[in-house]
Amino acid sequence: MTPYWEDEAEEDGANTMVRPYTITRGRTAPERDDFSLITVLTTAQDPRDEHGAPVRPGRLQPEHRMILERCHRPAAVAEVASDLGLPVSVTKILLADLVAQGLLLARAPLSVARVAGGADMGLLAAVRDGLRRL
Amino acid sequence: MTSSQTAPAAVKILIAGGFGVGKTTMVGAVSEVAPLRTEEYLTKASIGVDDLAGVGQKDTTTVALDFGRITVSSGLVVYLFGTPGQERFWFMWNDLVNGALGGVVIADTRRLETSFASIDFYESRDIPFVVAINCFHGHNTRTPDEIRAALDLDPHVPLLIGDVRERPFGRDVLLALVDHLMSLPAATG
Repeated sequence: MTPYWEDEAEEDGANTMVRPYTITRGRTAPERDDFSLITVLTTAQDPRDEHGAPVRPGRLQPEHRMILERCHRPAAVAEVASDLGLPVSVTKILLADLVAQGLLLARAPLSVARVAGGADMGLLAAVRDGLRRL
Repeated sequence: MTSSQTAPAAVKILIAGGFGVGKTTMVGAVSEVAPLRTEEYLTKASIGVDDLAGVGQKDTTTVALDFGRITVSSGLVVYLFGTPGQERFWFMWNDLVNGALGGVVIADTRRLETSFASIDFYESRDIPFVVAINCFHGHNTRTPDEIRAALDLDPHVPLLIGDVRERPFGRDVLLALVDHLMSLPAATG
């Protein structure tokens, strides 16, 4: 099967390509755009598809494997990007590949926006207790 | 081992201030790991960080930010992001500021004007914040009231004076922010 992105790769123009986007095969946006800097990623322990069969990973690049290795311990998007030495936007594309395959689990940050009512008191109390131990 | 398989919840606090005022220093003082650095591409023509189509034509810049983490419990991690020194960059970086619990402005009394942009930014985004006056070597010649007046701070915004290199001061600044957040009325209604 030809990966869908290979259709577009040649049009990008090698001269203007920002080098890290070669890792993403020329893609400049992730499949899903709901990752934030502090979305927490965890490598799936025993990934299964919807039929309960073990997931057979598709084509993985070295960077994908590095992410899966790294995220055995949960890590935020910013931490993964830092460890890989890649810009955040490039990292998000690779992360989205793995989440789409069920190999990586993503946890969105807690909602604390003031417009949505702000952080709840239980969360703030937990943060305060943790800070006091510093 | 099993607990490490469950992703903790994450929140973030922003550390802003003018160039060289001590943002990364404060992150390092309270973080459980040495400050990490990450980079992002931003285009001046675009607000969304993911919209880099046509990257060759647009004026693209790379900005770096330093960050650290504080594990509050097995289920909760606080990330501290030192914002890029030049505010014109982080104005464009929605992902950095969206969903922040709150912010810190670090200021230096010898050049308070460098913190105006950070204060304006938090106020315009409705992000609660505290102000930390960084006094390396106890170098502060102004009273808190003078500083408040110079920064045109609302009376309810906490102001602390200390040395951001020292963990106890950094901790107190963050605690003041959390207390401030707890004192605020819910924004809805």
